[in-house]
Amino acid sequence: MPQAGWLGRGLRRERWLGYLFVAPMLLFLLGIIILPLAHAFVTSLYREAGVNVRFVGLQNYTRLLDDTAFWNSLRVSVVFTAACVGLHLAIGMPVALFLNTLRRGRTTIRLAFLTPWMVTPVIGAIAWVWLLDPHFGVVNHLLRSVGLIAANQVWLGEPALALWSVIAVDVWRGFPFVMLILLAGLQTVPKEEYEAASIDGAGALQRFLFVTLPHLRYLLVVATTLDVINTIRTFDIVAVMTRGGPINATEVLPVLIFNTAFQANRFGPAAAIGVILLALLLVFSSLYILVLQSERSGATAP
Amino acid sequence: MTNRKSDGWAKWGVSRRQVLQGLAAAAATTAVAGSRVVSGAAPAARSGSIVLQYQTANLTEAQYEPVWKAIIAKFEAQNPNIKVEPILVARKDHWTKFVTASKANQAPDVVSVDIATAAYNGYLRPLDDLWQAEPASYRQAWTADAIKTASWQGKFYGLPSWGGIYGEIYNKEMVKQAGLDLSKPPATWNEYLDWSKRLTREGQQWALAILAGKTDSTTRMLLMWIWSNGGEAFNADMTQATFAGNPKSLEALEFYLNLDLVHKVVAPGAASINYLEQTNLFAQQKIASMRNAYWGVAKVVGDNPAIKDKIAVAFPPMNADKKVTMATMAADSISKDCKHVEAAWKFVKFVNDREWGIRRALVSNWMPMRTDLATDPEVKKDPTLVQFLEYGTVARAYPLPHPLWADIAANDIVAATQSALLRRMSVKDAFTKLDADLNKKFKEM
Repeated sequence: MPQAGWLGRGLRRERWLGYLFVAPMLLFLLGIIILPLAHAFVTSLYREAGVNVRFVGLQNYTRLLDDTAFWNSLRVSVVFTAACVGLHLAIGMPVALFLNTLRRGRTTIRLAFLTPWMVTPVIGAIAWVWLLDPHFGVVNHLLRSVGLIAANQVWLGEPALALWSVIAVDVWRGFPFVMLILLAGLQTVPKEEYEAASIDGAGALQRFLFVTLPHLRYLLVVATTLDVINTIRTFDIVAVMTRGGPINATEVLPVLIFNTAFQANRFGPAAAIGVILLALLLVFSSLYILVLQSERSGATAP
Repeated sequence: MTNRKSDGWAKWGVSRRQVLQGLAAAAATTAVAGSRVVSGAAPAARSGSIVLQYQTANLTEAQYEPVWKAIIAKFEAQNPNIKVEPILVARKDHWTKFVTASKANQAPDVVSVDIATAAYNGYLRPLDDLWQAEPASYRQAWTADAIKTASWQGKFYGLPSWGGIYGEIYNKEMVKQAGLDLSKPPATWNEYLDWSKRLTREGQQWALAILAGKTDSTTRMLLMWIWSNGGEAFNADMTQATFAGNPKSLEALEFYLNLDLVHKVVAPGAASINYLEQTNLFAQQKIASMRNAYWGVAKVVGDNPAIKDKIAVAFPPMNADKKVTMATMAADSISKDCKHVEAAWKFVKFVNDREWGIRRALVSNWMPMRTDLATDPEVKKDPTLVQFLEYGTVARAYPLPHPLWADIAANDIVAATQSALLRRMSVKDAFTKLDADLNKKFKEM
């Protein structure tokens, strides 16, 4: 069948051409993602002492099991991520509901709520360091003025306060992201369903529970998963505000990696922590992909 | 012959050759652009001149800005084929920026960093060949001690440039308001404690600030207090930590930290206070004294010019017969990545010329390291500078010569101090744990 052979060759050529066109992007991704990851993994198998570097196999990983700094950092990361994501949702949802009910000035108010998200995290964190200054900060002044605190608080100098301070700043910066996703979802809920529920005698809470939430179920999972991925790798806010202190109370994993690598010059152990953080991120990324796939298959099911 | 019309790319009206040529051209363009990014080549370098990158901890600090700008302008005017590019980085990020650049083999050519740690990690170029090639008359301007402090394992790594000699700086007005007499400043610990109590007005002003933030300035303060009691933080060859192991050291630590824990004469928030916060508090007259070098005076006057005439300096209080304070030393080094060693050495020498040593001392309040400048008539015109230079005769060198110094000074020792101040452990337990942690680190080296 000469024509089939000709057609087959043509298809093969077209496929080859396709590969050729995506090759630059694949090479680019290889250069900026795959090679650095491979390099980080290889680095994690070595230990440096000055200019001397020796292969230690998986020792950097096994040592982490006994490393109190690592376990403390993991615990701080879990608390930080859980608190931030929970609060992003707890604040993002009502704000989205509020914005969805607005008839006038919606764009302006939406932009106002989005502002913290648009501010560069480092700039926002520096501003907050000054706002939270124990001696000259506005926050202490305001709280004392309204009688909420009797004396100035050392927001970034006490372990518990410092952790909740960086969480508060991350919530300030991060909730608009969740709000935006949920607001997009709210705008797709058919008004007829609310009208029908109202006719059936449903109150505001019931409409929210039985109309709004089921429609937002998928977006809530997506927003939560993306937010976890985004928050667990937070570095900038913590690094600027506390550098992981005091007494490592705010040392989330990315800050521990930075401190281990660039302050302590221990690049092998730092790379090992980085690989573990990557594994954690992959777990949540896989969850995200699973959710997407299940939603797609749900949408295409007869 | 191939029927081109049946080829995939023929659909777009191009031949296979044209496609491949286009891809090759794009790849070449990308490679050239990429190589420029990697090399960081500045426009001046393309025209044949040399570009030297220069990074120190304080190029972003206002008190040094007029001096370094003048240094670079004059150097470039005298050496039109050399362009100096300052790397502006905040003090707290200076070391990490340098390490990151070194790891990428892109370290700035001329740097001022912790010599022991940087040399141990192979980030610096030994300068013995360049130093020995200089005439003896030039080399004599530096003391043997200064050269030793700028060396690591017998190799010379940096030309000592400037230093900071620590004293006790008081706000004359606040001292007077407390009914104290600055002509008889506290010379002993007990006198200092008495003054501190009288200088403190609860919730409004404090005698001092304890530095316990996450930088090595925390460690500087601890060492001075330990030395002022005749204690030692390490054994002679720095193989063992003795913060708690040496009774004199522990006594000093307890006295110093109890100023906060027991006597409450310290500004709140020690764990978040470093040099910048301390000088802010002093400039805003929230604290009546600060342990600092002469550069601290320039900083607070810059922050609050009204305080200029209210400043007095005294020797830090002692609890031992032998007077001692601290002198930090900064040296200009050449990184391992420097491609223009000769030009870099020329710049290092220029930065350390007599003219700039004096300008640094008078404008930025940094002590000159050249011995021939200490007796310079211009330097002698500044009585406070002379006072600090006198303290320098009994000062011990800092940083300590240990390859892990940058890490332990900014992390381990700070963590122990914070644990004690935040009452997670007693002072003794916190520093006993520190000794154990550091000794373990030293063994693992």
